[in-house]
Amino acid sequence: MPLPLLLRLSLSPPLSGCVRAHRYCSQWILRSQAEHLLRRRPSSRLATRGHSRKSRSQEEEWRTRNKTVLTYIAAAGVGMIGLSYASVPLYRLYCQATGLGGTAVAGHDTDQVETMTPVKERVIKVTFNADTHASIQWNFRPQQTEIYVVPGETALAFYRAKNPTDKPIIGISTYNVVPFDAGQYFNKIQCFCFEEQRLNPHEEVDMPVFFYIDPEFDDDPRMARVDTITLSYTFFEAKEGQQLPLPGYSYN
Amino acid sequence: MSTAMNFSSKSFKPRAPDKGSFPLDHFGECKAFKEKFMQCLRENSFDNSKCRLQSKDYLECRMDHQLMAREPLQKLGFKDLMDPPPSQEESKPCPEKSC
Repeated sequence: MPLPLLLRLSLSPPLSGCVRAHRYCSQWILRSQAEHLLRRRPSSRLATRGHSRKSRSQEEEWRTRNKTVLTYIAAAGVGMIGLSYASVPLYRLYCQATGLGGTAVAGHDTDQVETMTPVKERVIKVTFNADTHASIQWNFRPQQTEIYVVPGETALAFYRAKNPTDKPIIGISTYNVVPFDAGQYFNKIQCFCFEEQRLNPHEEVDMPVFFYIDPEFDDDPRMARVDTITLSYTFFEAKEGQQLPLPGYSYN
Repeated sequence: MSTAMNFSSKSFKPRAPDKGSFPLDHFGECKAFKEKFMQCLRENSFDNSKCRLQSKDYLECRMDHQLMAREPLQKLGFKDLMDPPPSQEESKPCPEKSC
């Protein structure tokens, strides 16, 4: 019996449908409860007069119980509606607390480089990857496939880019760190990303990346099984004078 | 790159580097230091801890040739490779027990 009602509800739009569903559900529950209780009455009528007083008190008892049940269900319905409205700020708080959904968990300060001590027991392999967008004609590749670092120690790595064409090409790059969770611990002191890099015809340059892995990486239980971090750079062709907004900064 | 459809998993948020971008070494002024560093890496099976001296030399070369903003090496995480200045050793206060 509830199935056709639920089917009808699934066709209506989701959000208002949820609210309506709660109301329909509560109403349906009320109706079924009322019907169920009404069906009990004929049995009390069949009882003799001697039981009429008892049946009357029983009826009153049932009525009060009905009322309490009804108020509870009404309260639950109102509570559901309130929860659906309150879920937006609550979810935001939850995301900030647990760091799910990509929100920044821990910032890092630049003075940390001076004071941090390397965690020598934890060796992490950093592999390098280089990509170019299809339209840029640079040859871009890392000069080392991997490097073994420990958290808290600064490390240097090189990429090489060559412009084999006869005209200068301006490239601009961005990077990616996999696994994503480890990306928050991967701090670059200096690199060649997010700024235009101009290569003259037939020029080949070495591009360094100076980075370190935050020593708190060792303390994070989610990173306990992470042994390899992959740093991937991708170069795109930039038009002259184009300014990419730096991520994390706002220009006001 | 992060896609828009990852509701449960984290997406990657790129961050700008702390000290900005390295200017390109168009003239290869520090290429010799880079080659030394790469040689050291290849010899030590790409262990960064063994080649920190060479990386320090490379960064010093960059700073000398105006390819990097000059910074004290402690700020770049090389404080363990720095020798303590001699004046500090001479004027070290004597420990309480022996004095």
